[in-house]
This record gives sequence, C-alpha cells and structure tokens, in this order.
Amino acid sequence: MKKRTLATLVVLALVVGIFAACGGGGTAPAPAAPTTPAAPDAPADGGEAASGDQIFRAAFITQAMSNESQAFSWREFQRLAPEFGFEMSVFAGENEPAVEFDGVLTAIANGYDAVFVNPSSIEGIIPALQQARDAGLVVGMFSSVLPDEHRGVMDFFVGSDDFLGGVQAGEFVSAHFPDGANFVEVGGQAGHSAANDRHSGFQEGIADNIVMLDSQFAPTGWNTHEALAIMEDFIVRFGDEIDIVWCHWDNGASGVIDALQNAGMTDVFVIGVDGNRTGYAQVRAGTQALSVGQSFTNMATESLRNARIILEGGTVPVDNWIPLDMVTLDSIDSFVEPDW
Amino acid sequence: MTKQPRMGRQAAVDFLMEYLVLFVIVALVIVTAIVEPRFLSAQNFTNLMRQFGPLSFVALGMTFIIVGGFIDLSVPGMISIVAMVTLSLVDVIGELPAMFAGLVLGAALGFVNGTTLMLAGANTQAKALFITFGMSQIYRSLALHLTGGFPMNWGTLFEHPMPVTRALSSGMWGPLSISFWVFLFFLLVLYIFQSKTALGRAITYTGGNLTAAELGGIPTKRVVVFIYTLCGFMVAVGAIVLFSRVSVTVPTVGTFFERDAIMAVVVGGTSLTGGRGNVLRTVMGVSLVILMSNCMNLLGVQTHAQEVVRGAILVLAIWLDHRRHARG
Repeated sequence: MKKRTLATLVVLALVVGIFAACGGGGTAPAPAAPTTPAAPDAPADGGEAASGDQIFRAAFITQAMSNESQAFSWREFQRLAPEFGFEMSVFAGENEPAVEFDGVLTAIANGYDAVFVNPSSIEGIIPALQQARDAGLVVGMFSSVLPDEHRGVMDFFVGSDDFLGGVQAGEFVSAHFPDGANFVEVGGQAGHSAANDRHSGFQEGIADNIVMLDSQFAPTGWNTHEALAIMEDFIVRFGDEIDIVWCHWDNGASGVIDALQNAGMTDVFVIGVDGNRTGYAQVRAGTQALSVGQSFTNMATESLRNARIILEGGTVPVDNWIPLDMVTLDSIDSFVEPDW
Repeated sequence: MTKQPRMGRQAAVDFLMEYLVLFVIVALVIVTAIVEPRFLSAQNFTNLMRQFGPLSFVALGMTFIIVGGFIDLSVPGMISIVAMVTLSLVDVIGELPAMFAGLVLGAALGFVNGTTLMLAGANTQAKALFITFGMSQIYRSLALHLTGGFPMNWGTLFEHPMPVTRALSSGMWGPLSISFWVFLFFLLVLYIFQSKTALGRAITYTGGNLTAAELGGIPTKRVVVFIYTLCGFMVAVGAIVLFSRVSVTVPTVGTFFERDAIMAVVVGGTSLTGGRGNVLRTVMGVSLVILMSNCMNLLGVQTHAQEVVRGAILVLAIWLDHRRHARG
C-alpha cells in the first residue's frame, strides 16, 4: 500500500514539476487543446455569434496536433469561431487514418453541424465523409484536396495547393538560375500526400536546365534531424555540385542549413515550404532564400465563413484557393509575421 | 571420421551467425567504398560520428532493459518530453542546469516506468511492451501540451548563447566529435558496470531466468526498476544530444527511436529473450543501423527501399536470435 502511495505521489510530483518548470519558461508557445479527441460536450468556444443568432457546432478533424501547422490552425479556429457563430472541438488523429475516420463518425453521432477535415490519408477518410454528408453535416476540406472522383463527398475545399506550392517554388528557382543549376530534394514524410504533391509540383515548375542530383524523403516524419542526416549524406555525395536544396518544410530546411553550415557551404540556395516562424527567421537571416508560405488564418476564416453560409441555406464556391505567399528577403516585410 | 568435418562446419556456421553483424558491416563498407569512394572521406567520417550520437545512447540504455528480459517502448515519449522540458528551462535557469534537470527528468521517468510495471505485476516482456507503449503516449502528449505542438528553435529564439549545446552539435576534440567522446565515456562506464559489478551481473541473471534469480536472492523487482531508471537516464542523454544536433526541435522528436534502438540491440546479438548480451554488441548494432542509412543514402537507394531493408534486417536478426536460443 505504501509503495502504491509512493508511486502515485512520484507520478503526481513529476507531472506538477514539469508543468511548473515549463510554465515560467517563456519560450514555449501557449498550449493548445488536448491532442486526443475532445469531449463533444466541452466546446472550445461558446461566444456570441457575430452573424445570426444560432450557434453551430463544428469539429476540426486534423491529422495530428503534433504538426505545428495544425496546432496553429486549431488555435485560429478557436479564435475565429465566435465571430462566425461556432462552437469548435478538435479531433486529432495523430497520423492514424482509423482515428481520423472515427473522429468523423463521433462528430456525426454527437450531432455536430459541420466538420473541417485535414486527414493524413485522403483515401482512408472518404467513406466517413460520405456518411457525414448523408447525415446532413457540412463537410469542408481543410488544406487537403479530394481526388476528382470523390469530390461529391464534400461541400467545399479551402486551402493552398501543395502541388501549386511546388510549381511556384520550381518557377522561382528557374527564374533565379536562368543558366541552369543542380538541386537535391529533401522531401517530407515518405508517402505523405503533401510531400508527394510538393515533389510533383516542383518537377512541373522547374526548367529543363534545373537538374535533380537526388531526392530522398524523411523516412518516419517531418523531423528536422532526418532532414539534417539526409543533407549531410547529400553533401558528402555531391559536395559543391549542389546549387539548390529544395526542402519540403521550413523546420526541415533548418536541419539542411545546419548541415550546410557545418560543411562550410554558405552559398547554397535553400528553399522551403510553410512560411512559419522558423522559415521567416531563416529568410531574414539570409540562410534560406525562399519560404513558400501557407496562410492558415485565411484558411480557417474561409472555412468558418463558408460553413456558416451553407448552414443558413446559402451556397459557396466549391474550391476556395488561398494564395501562397512567396516569402523572400525582398518581400518578407509585406507579410504578417506568423506565430507558429 | 565424418563427424569432425561436420562439427567443423557447424562451428564455422555458429561463428558466422554469432558475428554476422560484423561481416555485414565489413561488406557494407567495402561495397559502398567501391561504388562511392567519397564514403571514405573525412567529412563522411565526421557525419557518421555525429549521426551515431543520439541513437547510440538510447540503444545503450535499451541494452540493459533487453538483457534484463524486458522492453521499453516509452523511448519516443521520453525523448520528446525531456527535449522540450530541457529547452524550456534554458532561458530560465541556464543551459547546464537545464541539461541536468533533463537528465534527472529522464531518470525519473524511467523510475516511473519501472515502478509502474512492478506495481502492475508486469513481469513479462509482453506486458512491459503494452505498458511502456502507454507511458510513451502519456509523455508525448504532455510534451505536446506543454509546447502547444509548436517547435523550439534554440538557434534563434533563445537569449542564452548555448555553448554546451553548440559543442555537442558540431564541436570536435582531436579527431573525434565531442558527442562521440561523450559516447565513449558512457560506453566505458556502462561496460565496466555490466561486466564488473554485482548489479550488472544481477541484470543478466534476472533476464536469463526471473524465477531462478529470485530464488538465488536477487531482488528482481529492484533490478527491473533500476534498469528502467538507467534506460531513462540514457534516453535523456540521447535526447540532449539529439536536440543539440538540430537548431529546431519539434515535439514529435524521437519518433521511431525505440524501433531503431531495439533493432540495434538485437542486431548486435543481444538476445531479445533476455539474459544474454552486452553493450559492446550494441555498439556493433548501432554501427550497422547508422552505416546502413548512410551507405544507402550515398548509394542513392530510395527511401521506401531503405525501409524495406531495415525491416528485413530486424526480422533476420530476430530469426537468428531465435535460432541461437533454440540451440541453447
């Protein structure tokens, strides 16, 4: 009995200690909601609606709250929900399609009015989306594109196109290197649709004289240390042949830059995607030439606005593309500084 | 007359199987060096030393868990929370105290793991597998909750200059990286501990036969709590070396480190069923895991194919371990 009490106290002390220690840190951003499916009766926001009287309930079903872009999106949903008359909950799948699938079914069972969905596997969630549509929920795809043959399961799409982001990055590189150049690609999570689309888009955007030396994807996730290890091996293999590094995410670009700096290669043209705080800092520091930015604030705004209109009987465009920001040292001051 | 050659062949096969990992490493090095001569460059050697760091510490800790007859899947969660808490504390209490706090936290989490297992009566590897997996979820969720899912960038966000982190990141002392010297230090200490101390031997006995160890007077529950505490500490060292390597640390840092650590330990020749193995074998296993990744990248093997090779090697290692175990 004493041992049990002691063990319980140790666990409690540990948890309290961790929270107390980090509470004063000042470096950690504000906590987001729990990453496990939120209790349906515990909405994140319940403020007064600015438009109309009725408060609707919506769920943000996202691939992972461990992905900072999704954590930021959830924060923006919470912030903007009262303005559009929504109570929001989050269901995070942590990159497990079955959990995302269950999140949609839970939203249906608990009488939600709308779901905003950004799954890790687009194919895996389609049957659940069909059930949501059949149950009368508004289905908004958030930064995730459905295949053409399944577009009927959604009401609208809001987001930036990863493929287009890749195209824009490719065109930017081609314009900057009119005489041609060599690049290596440090891809995002292997098999992830965003990584695949960014890869394909870049191939589409580059001119013929921009030559790929090699392409590797992060084997387990969008982890900075994996980008670093891949880049270290690229440097050994290709050395000064590398003119450009096309990295699929800004935090990965940070690992790429670390590897380049350790190797004394300071004149390589590094481009990344996300437009997050890390990317902005690297662009300002001159270590990253371009960050292709996505505005999750605008995506959340458009998602809530569209859902509200549909729920009140109106219609909205099916495709709502949010323009990508091309963040360079010359243009960086024209954008709102991200806080994710 | 025919028995001797057969026994000789058997001995050769046994020797080959015992040290298969060494042969594979040698073959890998030779093939890669021929196809891609830059594999032998000083720069690649430096890269390998740096890549060796984080996984090697985790694998050293995991060795004692597996030799003791258990398993620990809480590694990713522990790496995640130790890294994020340590970084959170840097601007508050300074770099070295924050690192010390991180090490204490790692050991404490390991202690909690071991204590939880013993209180739950989990005295088998299978039970430990599920409980430590659950603990990993708890630790990772705590890390995500603390950070809101956002990364920490010690390269740009902190006011503190972080000299120790920078030294661990890219510092060299003589021909070896600082992180590699740290690894050699821990390897030496753990090797002496395992081979020369009563507690080190007690871990092996516990893993070999739990009941017999208990009957022999070994306090097996304390031994199990100890190996988890030791593993937690080593995971914390690995977490610190890992976040030192990259300027930006995401809360999901450490994903699949448990897989690679278990693979390194088992591939090195430590028995997954416990009671057999040592830290030197683990070094061979880590070398193979790191070299494999490095060589395949240099040879231009695509990511998906690399994962197939990793999985196949793990399966092969477990199969060989099973064969060795079946033969007694």
